[in-house]
Amino acid sequence: MTYRVVGLLVVGCLVMPRLVAAQTDPLEIMARVDRLLRGESSRGVAAMEVVTEHWDRQMTMELWSLGTDYSLVRLRAPQREAGTATLMAEDDIWNYLPKVDRTIKIPSSMMGGAWMGSHFTNDDLVKESQIIEDYDIEIAFEGDRENVAVWEFLLTPKPEAAIVWGHVEYQVRQDDYMPVWTKFYDEDGELSRTMTYSEFVEFDGRLVPAVMDMHPADKPGERTSIRYEELEFDIDIDQSFFSLRNLQDRR
Amino acid sequence: MSDFPWLRIGWRNLGRNRKRTGLTALGLAVGFVASVFVVGWSEGLMVEMVESATSLVNGQIEIHDAEFRPDRSLYDTIGGREGTDVQALLRVIDGDASVVAAAPRVYAGGLVSSGEATSAGLFMGIDPARELELTRFLDQLVDGRLPVAGQNELLVGEEMARQLSTGVGDELVVVTSGADGSMANDLYTLVGIFRSGLTDLDATFAVMPIGDLQTLLVLPPNRVHEIAVATADPMVAEATAARLADLLPAVDPAIEVVPWTVLNPAMVDYVALADAMYFIIVGIVFGIAIFGVANSMLMATFERRREFAVMLALGATPRSVWAAVLSEGLAVGVVSLALGAVVAFPLMVWFHNAPPDMSRFLGSDVTIFGALLSPSLRVEYNVPFWFACATALIVTALLAALYPAIRAGRTPPADTLSGL
Repeated sequence: MTYRVVGLLVVGCLVMPRLVAAQTDPLEIMARVDRLLRGESSRGVAAMEVVTEHWDRQMTMELWSLGTDYSLVRLRAPQREAGTATLMAEDDIWNYLPKVDRTIKIPSSMMGGAWMGSHFTNDDLVKESQIIEDYDIEIAFEGDRENVAVWEFLLTPKPEAAIVWGHVEYQVRQDDYMPVWTKFYDEDGELSRTMTYSEFVEFDGRLVPAVMDMHPADKPGERTSIRYEELEFDIDIDQSFFSLRNLQDRR
Repeated sequence: MSDFPWLRIGWRNLGRNRKRTGLTALGLAVGFVASVFVVGWSEGLMVEMVESATSLVNGQIEIHDAEFRPDRSLYDTIGGREGTDVQALLRVIDGDASVVAAAPRVYAGGLVSSGEATSAGLFMGIDPARELELTRFLDQLVDGRLPVAGQNELLVGEEMARQLSTGVGDELVVVTSGADGSMANDLYTLVGIFRSGLTDLDATFAVMPIGDLQTLLVLPPNRVHEIAVATADPMVAEATAARLADLLPAVDPAIEVVPWTVLNPAMVDYVALADAMYFIIVGIVFGIAIFGVANSMLMATFERRREFAVMLALGATPRSVWAAVLSEGLAVGVVSLALGAVVAFPLMVWFHNAPPDMSRFLGSDVTIFGALLSPSLRVEYNVPFWFACATALIVTALLAALYPAIRAGRTPPADTLSGL
């Protein structure tokens, strides 16, 4: 999710929306959306709110990303957990726990587990960057929805891809390439969760959805919301930043 | 003459051809011994399976919040969010005559990490003193000792220790989700390693004092997920569970009292299937025996046609002849039963009390339906089945004699005596 968090945030509307009108190759469109949202590198600050049946939590976190393979998220608040950090490098995830001053690599059996108590899984963190590699993509709908011209993509996992979803639907606005929602369906075709994107604003000259909400279908009333407060793109950062040592670097 | 001379005649006729009588009786006796022994062994497996499944870790009865199963959510503690007076519940449960032990438990899923290695763990918070009376998996630790409350100490299974390349005295990081949504994590000292024999359990369970786990999970002490209950005999678990369900206070959300028969229906079905199989075994064994016995009886009556002809010629009714032959069958049955019992019972006592260890041939422990079986030939006593077998033996002997008896009763006296 960091990815989505980072990536989606990083919307770059600057790239030629005007030339785009005739574009209907789904792969091309998806690649463009991805490029617009991600940027080469980014840094941001976001607030995450997790609402469950049993508790509500507010967290503030700082995020960095580089390309599609590296990202780092560090909690700033609440105070008790400040410094808790997640490093995603390629397909691996490490968590740093300041209370015990230890770093734990998430075992593959736990990749489906919740990330920082949210409705995102660890898998979401690493898989979000690989949509084009992991899915067969086709346009399921092209036209107006509520007076907005959109594309709706049907993403079907490739047979060899390690994807837990049966299929994924993804709606993108045609005029600015902004995502509207992503719906994840399980293998029985039942809606499993919905992610919606809203409050499209410009950060650092790029249009991005500032707010993302994840709603699990089986738990009405529960959600995880992420709201970007700061976001900058193409910052001066290289791969060495995404190291285990930097993960543990408490601020 | 007594009222039943035929019994005596039947008995005496056994002595006519002792070898034949002996072989016939031996056939039935072997059938009896085989049935009793095979069923005893099967029963031994069943009892061991049920005992292992219920006393190794689980207990014969589990008490939960009604919502707890099957999701085992962290929040579904007994009494819901408010929790319950655990000590009061334990007092009520301990008061039942069939209950030998009861222990509160808290569960949570998470990660256990040592150095570079991390594995998924199921944390089990226990009251060590109570737990030792209930379960067997902590009785003999492979290494170390039980954890002491308040010291951040824990136990893991042998397989998890192997996967984490860790040993007693090492420091482990535990990560889970607190009931308040926080990332609960802390350092613990590994003080002991257990081996239940169930690989899954030994690879995933991490055990710590219940209060320590509640602290980690941000659960107050009055919130527990389960009270496990042991009964003296697994077979009284259902009745005890029903009794406890009535005794426990009616609260909202409801408390559920579940015996092992509900938790492990596959095992119940298997035991029922085995019970049905016993009678099929008896049917087959005596079904085979019946033809052997009938054959001997037929021979025995055929060579005595003249004798029957004389009896009939002197005024005996066909009915009396039947009685004589059936008595003979009965006598064979009684002799066989005596012989079988003399062989079977010492054998059963031996195999019950000192079962031979078959691990040389069968390898080490076997797991079935989540129960651990030792490779021994331990037999269990099933007294009603012994009586069923004895009855089957006598019935077999009588049935085998029936046709020869009818034939004997139809012997035509004049023709037979004239040598035709």
